[in-house]
Amino acid sequence: MKRLQFQKFIFYAVLLLMTTVYIGPFIYQFFISISQSKDVFGDPVKLLQPPNWTFQNYANVWVDLPFKQWLFNSLFITLVQTIMNVFFSALAGFVFARLTFPGRKFLFGLLISSLTVPVIILLVPKFIFMNNLRLVNTYAGLILPNLITITNIFLMKQFFETIPKDLEEAALIDGCSYFRIFWQIFLPVSTPALAAVAIYTFQGSWNEFLWPVTLAITSDKFTLPVGVGFLKNQFQSDWPLLMAGTLLITLPTLCIFLVFQRYFVQGVAASGGKE
Amino acid sequence: MATVEIRNLVKQYPGAAKAAIPNANLTIDDQSFVVLVGPSGCGKSTLLRMIAGLEEISGGELLIDGQRMNDLSPKDRDIAMVFQNYALYPHMSVYENMAFGLKLRKFSKAEIDNRVRAAADILDMKELLDRKPKAMSGGQRQRVAIGRAIVREPKVFLFDEPLSNLDAKLRVQMRVEIKRLHQRLKATMVYVTHDQVEAMTMGDKIVVLKAGVIQQADSPMNLYNNPANLFVAGFIGSPSMNFGRGTLVAQDKTLRFVNSALDFQIPASLADTLVGQVGKEIIFGFRPESIYDICFPSGKTLTEPQRITIDVTEPIGSETFLYFSLQDQVCCMRTLSDSQYQPNQTIDVGFDTERLYFFDPQTEQRIG
Amino acid sequence: MPQPSTRQRDMITIAWLFLGFPLLLIGLFVFFPIGYSLFISFFDWNLVTNQRTFIGLANYTRLFSDSLFWKSTGNTILYTIGVVPIQTFLALFLAFVMNQKIRGRSFFRAAFYIPAITSSVVTSTLFIALFSKQGLINQLFGLENDWLTNPNTAMLTIMANNIWTTSGYFMVSFLAGLQSIPNSLYEAARIDGASTWQQFWKITVPMVRPVTYFVLVLGLIGCFQVFDQIFIMSAGGPVNSTTTLSYYVYVNGFKYFKLGYAAAAAIVLAVLIFSANQVQNRYFKPEVD
Repeated sequence: MKRLQFQKFIFYAVLLLMTTVYIGPFIYQFFISISQSKDVFGDPVKLLQPPNWTFQNYANVWVDLPFKQWLFNSLFITLVQTIMNVFFSALAGFVFARLTFPGRKFLFGLLISSLTVPVIILLVPKFIFMNNLRLVNTYAGLILPNLITITNIFLMKQFFETIPKDLEEAALIDGCSYFRIFWQIFLPVSTPALAAVAIYTFQGSWNEFLWPVTLAITSDKFTLPVGVGFLKNQFQSDWPLLMAGTLLITLPTLCIFLVFQRYFVQGVAASGGKE
Repeated sequence: MATVEIRNLVKQYPGAAKAAIPNANLTIDDQSFVVLVGPSGCGKSTLLRMIAGLEEISGGELLIDGQRMNDLSPKDRDIAMVFQNYALYPHMSVYENMAFGLKLRKFSKAEIDNRVRAAADILDMKELLDRKPKAMSGGQRQRVAIGRAIVREPKVFLFDEPLSNLDAKLRVQMRVEIKRLHQRLKATMVYVTHDQVEAMTMGDKIVVLKAGVIQQADSPMNLYNNPANLFVAGFIGSPSMNFGRGTLVAQDKTLRFVNSALDFQIPASLADTLVGQVGKEIIFGFRPESIYDICFPSGKTLTEPQRITIDVTEPIGSETFLYFSLQDQVCCMRTLSDSQYQPNQTIDVGFDTERLYFFDPQTEQRIG
Repeated sequence: MPQPSTRQRDMITIAWLFLGFPLLLIGLFVFFPIGYSLFISFFDWNLVTNQRTFIGLANYTRLFSDSLFWKSTGNTILYTIGVVPIQTFLALFLAFVMNQKIRGRSFFRAAFYIPAITSSVVTSTLFIALFSKQGLINQLFGLENDWLTNPNTAMLTIMANNIWTTSGYFMVSFLAGLQSIPNSLYEAARIDGASTWQQFWKITVPMVRPVTYFVLVLGLIGCFQVFDQIFIMSAGGPVNSTTTLSYYVYVNGFKYFKLGYAAAAAIVLAVLIFSANQVQNRYFKPEVD
């Protein structure tokens, strides 16, 4: 019995250590962000002493920097991309999961094989394309390329395939057209998968860096990650300000994650469609 | 109400070497309850789904009430179907599930309400109408699935193994209920199952399929008493018919069936039909209930005594099954439950001469 | 061939109706760029002067004689080889731990997953703070190393960042795989006398092989493309010790505006990823039953 308890002790010690490694940096980040002194790298113990705390850095981020503009840009772009991704991936996923038509396998194979193509290869042509359309440094240019993501189509297809075929056939006999089967049967029973796609897309769009850093030229079109990357170069010595800014960016994805945690984990593997 | 006619129906899946259903002919009478039965993969579900319009018809004709249905989509065939997995819409209440098909057909609100409530009444589930499928048991869900079919008042009801997801007790109960429903609605019903007991107890007419071919279509008792071939004989009846190979020998103007374990005279009534087979190999079949211990009066005319050794006894309460081997073939014999047989005991038995079956080993057709 | 039924015709109409717009977008922003990249890799194309001259394979020959290109390729491969095995193993280990009966499971799961949902810009900035000369890491371990300006440790730091962020992400993939292993297998192993550790190696690892393959493929594709962390943490330096192929493409395209040259480098990266995937398929793909 003693040995068992010792094992348990080791197990929890390892667990605690891992947890520290994974969330410790964020706690460090938080304490820097509330530090009054700009010299945050002296004695780490000083960071933990309440008299040295202040929330002024957050106020400074909000007031002194174009943070509000970046927040708006990020929110706008992310929301449009999330809504459209959910919509389009549901449509395309339904087609690939449930309809048979000539060329379906080939088309789907083509989409999947493109997943191994590095995004950097698309960067130059996409930029030239946007440049020709005069869409560099515009919202349209920032939004358009990510209205649909192939992985999302794949996820929706996977989910729709778990919905029993009987359900579709019962609906056919009841008199549904395929459009109605999609709209009145498949969509309503797919909320877990749709939520998962929405959450994944939100997170991906919110954190996207390569495309906006390439396409947004002026500060008024920056998204939050681009803006903070830019701040990093400007205010490298002002760590409290920088950490306050980065913490603020993290909050929305963190909140969404904590609220919808079960969708992340069950996500698409969920059997929401099964009775 | 309706008759369903199947004429030279073919199902050929693209890329498959053999047709799933090479050529099926069947007439399903108005108001009858027809059961399609066979082992898995025999094409029974395919046939049903072709009637429903869920499978493309590759050749031949499907008529409902004399009208050609081949090219109509399922919703235009005036049929309703009950699925094995119930296929209830999980996001709709029981009421909405039943009303959905009617709504799509633009029935008035009042009419829908009437029909749904009437069906709920028949199926005794009035208090379930607001529930979601998730909050119900398997039996309740199956009731809803049946209700969804009833409200449509279709020409033909199709059932695709509706009871196989239920536990044994519930299955028996629902069996009776569906049968009662048929008597009440007087509708044409086509029912698919792999369970021959279900087929026997429910059908007016049973259609036995194997490898896409209809083996025999007849009333339950006719199938049982006069199986057309080896497959039907073995498939219908539980425990199933016992078989043994042997030779027909002519001796003193009589015919005898002979193998290393058995040797008995074939009754005169059968001898005439079997005389052509003398000297050839033949398969002999007998049911567990047509073999008797000669020590007890059976009231039947029996063949000469044959000696067997009991391997295993299997009391099931109402009766006891004895298992013994004939030429390495396990055979079963039914006896009364109060009989005191023991394993390794040797007894003399005789076959009921009225109930001997003979099959051609090549064609597997019944020849006597 | 029989005439398609109304049902089939319905399907085809709906299929194209539903697919139309998504396919158009994917065509414009995925497939067209792939072809176009190949096309411009044969040109000397300067974005500023907008001059375009066909130069055949000259971009490629120039690329192959550029020592920085070879260094970037080497860095990319080194990075991938360093990160993929560790992140995969760590992810599996975390998932295995999470799958045990522990109190506060959802808390721990969230803790491990948080780095994965955090913007790469944020985690990179955070790592600069942690690994700076007077940062927490040096203070904790009593070191004096300036991790990101030391050519020997800059790449290690960036690798650590990636492992830290992705292991929690792949943990979730493994967790799904683990939950599909029937408990009876573990019970049988326990009756046979296997310790927790033996259960991990003899049951968990073999049973999640399909997931492992999936994680390896995704991890490899991701690592070969590493960009954000390089951009924020080191800008390819010091002395190009962290210049990866993606970053090399970016710098040539958008700093020097050599679009054709950048495209050629991107094509090489694509070929590299494709070949690496082929190797994976050949040696690691689990057999499908």
